[in-house]
Amino acid sequence: MPILNERGYLIPAVNNTSVDYIECAKLLATSIKSFHPTAKICLLTDKHIDDSIFDYVKILPHGDQSPNQEWKLNNDWQCFTASPFRQTIKLEADMIATSPIDHWWTVFEHRDLAISQGCRDFYGQLSKSRYYRKVFDSNNLPDVYNAITYWRVSQTAKEFFDLVRAIFSDWDSFKKLLKFPDDVPTTDLVYAMAANIVGVENCILPTNFGPTIVHMKRHIIPTHTSDWSNELIWENADPGLRIHTITQSGFFHYHIKDWAKTNE
Amino acid sequence: MTTGALIFAFNNSDIDYLALAAWSADNIKRHLGIPVAVVTDISESDHLDKFDQIITASTDAGGHRFFDDIGKSVQWFNSNRTDAYSLSPWDNTLVLDADYVVASDQLKCVLNTTQNFLCHRRAYDLTGTQDFEDLNYFGRHKMPMWWATVMYFNRSQQSQLLFESMTMIKQNWQHYKNIYGTGRSVYRNDHALSISLCTLNGHTTDHPTIPWNLASVTPSHKLSKIDQDYYRIDFNNSEQKPRWVDIKNCDFHAMGKGHLGDIIANIK
Repeated sequence: MPILNERGYLIPAVNNTSVDYIECAKLLATSIKSFHPTAKICLLTDKHIDDSIFDYVKILPHGDQSPNQEWKLNNDWQCFTASPFRQTIKLEADMIATSPIDHWWTVFEHRDLAISQGCRDFYGQLSKSRYYRKVFDSNNLPDVYNAITYWRVSQTAKEFFDLVRAIFSDWDSFKKLLKFPDDVPTTDLVYAMAANIVGVENCILPTNFGPTIVHMKRHIIPTHTSDWSNELIWENADPGLRIHTITQSGFFHYHIKDWAKTNE
Repeated sequence: MTTGALIFAFNNSDIDYLALAAWSADNIKRHLGIPVAVVTDISESDHLDKFDQIITASTDAGGHRFFDDIGKSVQWFNSNRTDAYSLSPWDNTLVLDADYVVASDQLKCVLNTTQNFLCHRRAYDLTGTQDFEDLNYFGRHKMPMWWATVMYFNRSQQSQLLFESMTMIKQNWQHYKNIYGTGRSVYRNDHALSISLCTLNGHTTDHPTIPWNLASVTPSHKLSKIDQDYYRIDFNNSEQKPRWVDIKNCDFHAMGKGHLGDIIANIK
């Protein structure tokens, strides 16, 4: 793909039968532009849509690689070649920006690749929960979250995404390298394996240095049910968000997709 | 500019807080070299001679709490801690619980701070046998808790707003209790302080604190004095075997008022 802009945010989003990820992507783009009106945002999807919130809409160059799967993870490797930016921050669609984020470019710009590490609860505390990360710990893999991934057009990034493609495409072979592998690979796990091969030091920033997402999954946050939106108070601060009175910062991974509808 | 300590001392039927405060005043003067004011409703007592200033005030009952070392639930009267800003006679004030034992000059560095307000974010058990995570957070959704045991403040808008905010929270405790799901019917200064700090700092949990954790002795452990500024804690380990630790020249929060009361009574 030709490079159309120096820096921008890329949001991959392909709808499935239960979740309208493109609507999630619109909400995310709106939240980014509420803080940074001139930010360039590209939607990467499987069909043409027309919405001015996106500066670019790109179609998956190799099409939907998971036509029969609800979770369209196998498309992730296409982000590298599909991005119209020389420097890209890829974001998972089901998040919103809750504070200014453009200082991250300064943190990232000296790297070829940087995947976020760890996650926070809504108090801003780094999560100690390993409930969702057992396979990472069992295999001594880096604790990466693909929800925020930076790369610049570079040999390192190309090598990384080639590996991501290879692992997704031949999971049955690659999973033999792992203790207690998942039957279906998650993007985080594939990124962690690829990072191990490329060299972890080339793929992550020093611990506690780069951005982390606020993760609203039950075992990360101290809620008693899965749907935090029924349990916690949330307030739109226009722009911004408070959860149970606490001002959120960075990207907020709301996890409950229906919450996005009420927050549109 | 004046700098001094402020101790709240309201006796109940089981604990002589004024005696604790008077003993603490000696320790504060010896280690920190600052005058001590007491806020109390007692007008006649030999203990009052230990203080540089006596501020007479009344207070409402804060609630009941069970103490292992006393063996029953006792009422405490400390809900007017929110008035510390208006009651303090000092420009720079160090508010200390009457049961906080000053055994070193460590708090001098707090008195030299450029911050308007400081307190402890975390407490820990000096014996290492109890996990204080349940005490360092509160409410149904584990709101981080800041401790009102040791508070430093100066005369500033920030400090004034903080205490006014605590008062507002105290007056509307039912509302805040519902939000944070404290599960307790009684008001607690630590909770009001935590909520106020977060609110005044832009609804964030990131604000300056005393740069070490609050050493604590729990009521279930026996505290005794060996020598001046030298104490011993007897406890049972996880296998219920008796163990002890010595603490020397280390400030701590004696959460068991009964044991501390016994120490002070024996000194007399």
